[in-house]
Amino acid sequence: MVFSIAYHFLQNGAAAEEVAQDVFLELFRSLPKLESGAHVTFWLRRVACHRSIDYARRRKNAAAEVSWDDLPEPSHGRVPAEAPADPLLSNRLRQVIATLPEKMRMVVILRYQEDAGLEEIAKTMSIPLNTVKSTLHRAHAALRDKIRASVGEGNL
Amino acid sequence: MTDKLERELKKALERVDPPLGFAERVLARAANEEESNAPPRAWFGWFPAGGLRWAMTGTLCAALAASGIAYRQERERRGQRAKEQLMLALRITSSKLQIATESMQEMNSRLVHQP
Repeated sequence: MVFSIAYHFLQNGAAAEEVAQDVFLELFRSLPKLESGAHVTFWLRRVACHRSIDYARRRKNAAAEVSWDDLPEPSHGRVPAEAPADPLLSNRLRQVIATLPEKMRMVVILRYQEDAGLEEIAKTMSIPLNTVKSTLHRAHAALRDKIRASVGEGNL
Repeated sequence: MTDKLERELKKALERVDPPLGFAERVLARAANEEESNAPPRAWFGWFPAGGLRWAMTGTLCAALAASGIAYRQERERRGQRAKEQLMLALRITSSKLQIATESMQEMNSRLVHQP
């Protein structure tokens, strides 16, 4: 979860590992404050989001580091049985997601990687629920436009 | 159309596992931090020094399985172990009390029967 959030957000394996390591070290420091497994999960997700955003801000050139050849195959997933993934479309979508503004990108990752509900996203990112809704709406529109422009009308 | 976009987004954003050796690298970094912070033991202060590595390994494993199941099972196991240890301690205490009581009774009876 932690590595994956950072990986999809930063699109760089080394950077994602650095962020994930920082998050786990922070976890060790904060263990006495955490009360349950659910709390640990929420905490990890929240800190992974904030650390990833901070990392991207510190290194504005992160986009230039993207190496699409290095993208690993997803290790496990929730791909519906009836619809095998189109690797080209998935790759293109990841590229397009990487161009979204930071907060919008993180909302999309929490929603579709973590299957998080809108309220959960609001709590994790410390933003109002309505902001999550409007951000997700704008993200859908932006993604659809960019994919149509690059892959073609019939794909989405 | 949004449904299709959402399906494709889920496929594109499937979880990716950390690379091999990730947990070991986290532990190595933690150990380095511990060494560099050695004199005032900072945030490691509450760990017993000898058990630090094992405690952190256990914690990291639990956290990596953070969606919950493995973590909950570990907590239940620890709870069960703690319960068993408590029962054992109670049994030991009880048997020691029994021995002490018997000794005292023996001493009392000796005192009573002394001329």
